[in-house]
Amino acid sequence: MPVIVMASPKGGVGKSTCAVILASQFARMGADVTVLDCDPNKSLTRWASHGAPSGVTLKSDVGRSEIVPTIRSADGDGKIVIVDLEGVASQLVSRAISQADLVIVPMQPTALDAEIGSEALALVREEEEALGRSIRHAVVLTKTSAAVKSRVQKELEEQLSGAGIDVIEPSLVARAAFSELFAYGGDLTAMMNDPEMVTGGKVDKALANAQAFAEAVYERLK
Amino acid sequence: MNGSNRLAGLKARPKDTTVEEVRRVDEVGEARGFLDRTPRKKPGRKPSPRTYQLHPKVFPKVGEAIAAEAERLGVTQGQLIEILWEKYEGSH
Repeated sequence: MPVIVMASPKGGVGKSTCAVILASQFARMGADVTVLDCDPNKSLTRWASHGAPSGVTLKSDVGRSEIVPTIRSADGDGKIVIVDLEGVASQLVSRAISQADLVIVPMQPTALDAEIGSEALALVREEEEALGRSIRHAVVLTKTSAAVKSRVQKELEEQLSGAGIDVIEPSLVARAAFSELFAYGGDLTAMMNDPEMVTGGKVDKALANAQAFAEAVYERLK
Repeated sequence: MNGSNRLAGLKARPKDTTVEEVRRVDEVGEARGFLDRTPRKKPGRKPSPRTYQLHPKVFPKVGEAIAAEAERLGVTQGQLIEILWEKYEGSH
């Protein structure tokens, strides 16, 4: 089953949020998901400490020397492996990319995110050359506006498409519920069904966005 | 999104992970600034584990009792011995 790697040398772009959304949505679909938290900030470990959804197994503290064997041991029939990396340019990132079936590069629609995120895209292409095989990769725009598509976002999408880079649709909209996942644990469906969880946002819209995003990722794994 | 059968059909592509492959990946990464950023371990000798033995000639039971009392009082064993010494001197 596939290995999905969240990669960007920039921090705060939404790698952990993407990882949590995909892990919980794929688990809802019945997959056995293993999430590798390779980020020293331990965002996913914090999320799981509040209660990981059924079907999600978390492995923390995976370092440079362990990443390849850990991915290989977690990979297997009926399993999806999701790797969340630290927002830094490290060998851990390059090694994880080499094991990926899909590399997702989250980017906020800003020039800085695009510039730093493009380093990850370039690295994927260079690894493809060095290894002599293709590594599927795609960009997802994160923290986008629910109301209107900004000029910068439109331009960035055009530039990425023009460069032949796969851009996942839909983007991940800035939703309070996505942030609150790290405070409450679990997934968006559980959040929506629990009236005691106060998110201050529209959980149903966040869930629909997450489902559409997971569906788009699934299409790229087939 | 419905159906675990759809996910069951997903396959991972085979990836040979030889030492040579990992070396090549490291080289490509390093050329682009993706370096080994594993935190270095603290240099120097690690502190010896505490034995709670005050002196080789002190019976372990006595040493442990002193250690436990010092911990209860929130002082070091040395401070506790100073207190005991004062009492000893006062009694002579």
